[in-house]
Amino acid sequence: MSSRRSRISEEEITELISKLQSLLPETRRRGASRASAAKVLKETCNYIKSLHREVDDLSDRLSELMATMDVDSAQAEIVRSLFRS
Amino acid sequence: MAISNAEGDPATGNEGGGERKRKRRADPPVAKWRTEGEQKTYSSKLIEAIRRVRRSSAAAATDHSRSRAVRAAADRALAVAGRGRTRWSRAILSGRKLKLWVRARACRRKPLGSITAASASHTTPKSKPPTLERKARVLGRLVPGCRKLPLLTLLEEASDYIAALEMQVRAMSAIAEILSAAGAATAEPM
Repeated sequence: MSSRRSRISEEEITELISKLQSLLPETRRRGASRASAAKVLKETCNYIKSLHREVDDLSDRLSELMATMDVDSAQAEIVRSLFRS
Repeated sequence: MAISNAEGDPATGNEGGGERKRKRRADPPVAKWRTEGEQKTYSSKLIEAIRRVRRSSAAAATDHSRSRAVRAAADRALAVAGRGRTRWSRAILSGRKLKLWVRARACRRKPLGSITAASASHTTPKSKPPTLERKARVLGRLVPGCRKLPLLTLLEEASDYIAALEMQVRAMSAIAEILSAAGAATAEPM
């Protein structure tokens, strides 16, 4: 698969870049509609890294919590609250 | 907010422009990761997985290995929720050992002929290729199974992956809240 970047329209890439940009929390707040593709890529990488870190922290917390308690009754509680909201 | 429920057919009304030639990839709708139903399904599956982890790692497991097991279970459940429509979800499900093996191969091949021998560092300075390409490579390393994708596909995968990760964080936070609240409740003498 050779790099056919010239054949794929710039439009499609710009479209995807702005879609990606709309997912990033920063831009959602500021409402800026145009940022360079490089900046968006960099923000995306940083965002994914921070999400990974959050998931790791949450895994730590969950593994701690589940070690110290009775999961069965907790599960009943969770199911109840999941279906309540 | 038009959310196309892409259960059976590929998402059609996503962008509105009919000029895109759709080869074989259906654009996975990102909005589904925001729905409550999806999060609830994921939460119940995750809880089941955590119970299994707890049962299998009886006493000898260290905190770190348990945490890693939870993380792996969470990622697998997330990939299953993706329903195999995206590369990143298929890559997670096909096994993490595969990822290490592929990385070892790529290091030996050295596609861009860079001079530095240290292939282990993530931020190998490359001044030759344009900035965009360099950043795209970093992104490709972050999203599972997307190392050598063309930019277009990579951007699509990244959008879906980010939305999925956000849901994962929301679901895990909610579960942690409930567990810690339930733990505090059961700790008090009735």
